[in-house]
Amino acid sequence: MTDATIGLAGARGSDPSAPAVELLGITKRFGGIVACDQVDLTLNRGRIHGILGENGAGKSTLMKVLIGLVLPDAGSVRIDGHPRTIHDPLAAAALGIAMVHQHFSLVDELTVWENVALGEAGRLRSSGVRDRVAAISRQYGLEIEPDARVGELTAGLRQRVEIIKCLRRDPHILVFDEPTSVLTPEESEQLFGTLREVVAAEGRAVVLVSHKLDEVLHATDEITIMRQGQVVDYRPTQEADARSLARAMVGREVSLRSERAAFGLVEIEDADGEFAVDSEDTQPTESVVSDEPVLRIEGVSVRGRGGARLLDDITLELRAGEIVGVAGVEGNGQRTLGDLLSSLVSLDAGRVVVKDKEVPTGAPGAMAKAGVAVIPEDRHDSGVVLDMTVAENLLMVDPHRVARHGVMDKARTTETAQQMIQEFDIGCSGPDAPLWSLSGGNQQRVVLARELAAQPDVLVAAQPTRGLDVGAIEYMTDRLRQTAIDGVAVLLISSELEEILELADRIVVMSRGRIVGELSHADANLESLGMLMGGSEA
Amino acid sequence: MTRGARLAEWVALYALSVVVALALASVIVEATGGDWWPVVEALVDGSIMAPGRWGGTLGIAAPLLLVALGTVISSKAGLINIGQEGQLLIGAAVAVYFSFRIGGPGPLNVVVLLLFGALGGAAWASISGLLRYWRGVPEVLSTLLLVFVALQAVGYGLKWQWLLLADEASRGNRNLVSEQLAKDNRIPRPDIFGNEFPITVYVALALALAVAYVLARTVWGFRLRMLGHNPRAAQRAGVSSTVYGASALAIGGAFAGLAGAAMFAGGGFSFGTYRLVPGFSDNIGWTGLLVALLARERALPAVVAAFVFAGLRNGAGFVNSTGVESRITDVVQGLLVLALLVPPAVVFLRDRRRARAAATERV
Repeated sequence: MTDATIGLAGARGSDPSAPAVELLGITKRFGGIVACDQVDLTLNRGRIHGILGENGAGKSTLMKVLIGLVLPDAGSVRIDGHPRTIHDPLAAAALGIAMVHQHFSLVDELTVWENVALGEAGRLRSSGVRDRVAAISRQYGLEIEPDARVGELTAGLRQRVEIIKCLRRDPHILVFDEPTSVLTPEESEQLFGTLREVVAAEGRAVVLVSHKLDEVLHATDEITIMRQGQVVDYRPTQEADARSLARAMVGREVSLRSERAAFGLVEIEDADGEFAVDSEDTQPTESVVSDEPVLRIEGVSVRGRGGARLLDDITLELRAGEIVGVAGVEGNGQRTLGDLLSSLVSLDAGRVVVKDKEVPTGAPGAMAKAGVAVIPEDRHDSGVVLDMTVAENLLMVDPHRVARHGVMDKARTTETAQQMIQEFDIGCSGPDAPLWSLSGGNQQRVVLARELAAQPDVLVAAQPTRGLDVGAIEYMTDRLRQTAIDGVAVLLISSELEEILELADRIVVMSRGRIVGELSHADANLESLGMLMGGSEA
Repeated sequence: MTRGARLAEWVALYALSVVVALALASVIVEATGGDWWPVVEALVDGSIMAPGRWGGTLGIAAPLLLVALGTVISSKAGLINIGQEGQLLIGAAVAVYFSFRIGGPGPLNVVVLLLFGALGGAAWASISGLLRYWRGVPEVLSTLLLVFVALQAVGYGLKWQWLLLADEASRGNRNLVSEQLAKDNRIPRPDIFGNEFPITVYVALALALAVAYVLARTVWGFRLRMLGHNPRAAQRAGVSSTVYGASALAIGGAFAGLAGAAMFAGGGFSFGTYRLVPGFSDNIGWTGLLVALLARERALPAVVAAFVFAGLRNGAGFVNSTGVESRITDVVQGLLVLALLVPPAVVFLRDRRRARAAATERV
């Protein structure tokens, strides 16, 4: 395939002076909730437009309107100046609109080029597709091996496959939905670098949906901010700064610390030095750390299927009142460590001791009973039951507290749940709302509320702020700190270094299932942690 | 959606799909040279309208409901038990075996018989539980295949007098029949407005209420549902999949076995001779499974569903007498069963799609 087909997409438009996309007065309701309320949005060719907002602000719905997944209740769509109705994704594709989704839709068993060719009609010519994949990856600096099996690629490379899949259809309007939530800092930096050059040269209109301030400041030309279904602000990126964006996005002042956490890992230059961390500000807790360890993990090894060492001779002690951070690139045993403390895996060697009592690992509920509370990495996996009510999810671990003779008291269930909903400010229509009707942040609060209600001795928080917005991160961070002050030993497993540096008293670094180093809060910084994570033992 | 709107939607969906099925059925009946209206009339007469018929329908509904209740329990734990036909037959066989050996005064014997029926069904289903949790054999396979083992096992038992076969005096020149249950040991069938049915109908109704209550309100039911929805979250919260899953299978089997014993001692319809014979289960196990599916695995709707299926079955007897060929009436019946299964499937698919859309919307 020649470069001509990948070439100037903007030329397709009939009226070059009209903007690529105009959304006018888009309104969409889901039941009683207004997801989008009279939203106007203009996308220009050759520019990257950031759409910033918290979870539930309506960004995703707006994009779904654009790519034909959702039909708006009111409002109109103009593409290249012509009014259009986009009934379904096929219609959107025909208009040259493509979206790189947040969640990958790739087939692990197939190779890169096969995934790219999926959805093609007609005869499949492997050499043709391979050449085209190679051409696109060269042109956009998205290097990839066309014959690699997708299942073996890192998250960053998979994202490249998704992007190549999109670019191959030569879209002139390209939507990125939270593209960096799975990328390492280097990967996202590179992604935006190429994106920028290419967009400017080829005149494509690009939308970047995000809740990370830093990302939006870094990568876009103009920014639209949404809150509660409405556009609350628009400005060119040159005139924007992190603080004002955060305020517009949340609707109030947020603490700098949470802001920092929300930025993600990409460093930004800030002339005022507003975000420079002064040491006093980051003293994690004022809690009193006891001498006696509450949780002792002694020489623990876990092997996976095929004998892979998921955990390899891990030894770790946690004392009451301290926060210990577990840092590391994802996929180096953190998930297994979380599962171990959720009674979901058994040991091949070693033992786990909570308050001087050995816990039978892998026995149902043993860890919870021993006083280990867990906010799991993937709450849908072991944290909540989506098809049960909020009340039921709040009482999952200890239903007996509202039961008499094995029968759950309806009134007490509702009352207890109501209290927890209030205390943790869980946004839901009531205790009987099904859990799936809650936003991600509120589901996470349900988990937090339940786990803290058990008055644990140890709290394991695995990636507790992943996918949350500024306000929710601030809340979670404060809660974790408060939990430690209340005398609970907190194990914070996170791949967000900022988060760990901010909260942890001690930091251990995991690599390939082993603990490769330990740093005190004073000695830890991005550089020293990065060295350890890279595998060079300190 | 409000409650009323939802109900109206259900009624409309059922009406529509039954009308479509009747239309198709009438085309088939007419095309094969029959008259469609008498068939419909016969179906209604035979199931409820004609004198004494609704009692018979209730008599069939009771074992269907019992089987369905067991199915509801095992499916709440996330298990797919499709071996009710075999569990029912084994339950009946065990009940027969012990009933004739233990004897005792009438009412006591009935209770013992029902108890052993439940135990037999539970034991049979527990084979699947054991295989599932000890060896990881999928219960959907083992329960199904054990149906065929059960058919053979009961057939074998009916060949030997020391097992189930009646003595020569009682069986005459027949083979493969058990002793007939003595009049005193049968489940009473009081006459109500010219209709008679065994009092196990009340037992089944009470059990439906009990199952609904246990699942919705008790800690045990709560944890069972948790296991069914998300086994990993349940494990973390202290629900042992082995203990809860195996008990759910055993209880499911117990209900099927109880149904078998009740059919044996309750009489009525095709299972009315108070003797165990090959083919005794007569598809009640399979149909009970359908009842549970139709009720979307909920105990109280299963009551209605069981009555509807029993009505179809009971009415079929009258349809056969309209002169339409019996294979055609089987097709008509099959169409009506399909018509009943379509609306739940439609609503299930739609709700799931909505839930997914909502979930992706909010994540």
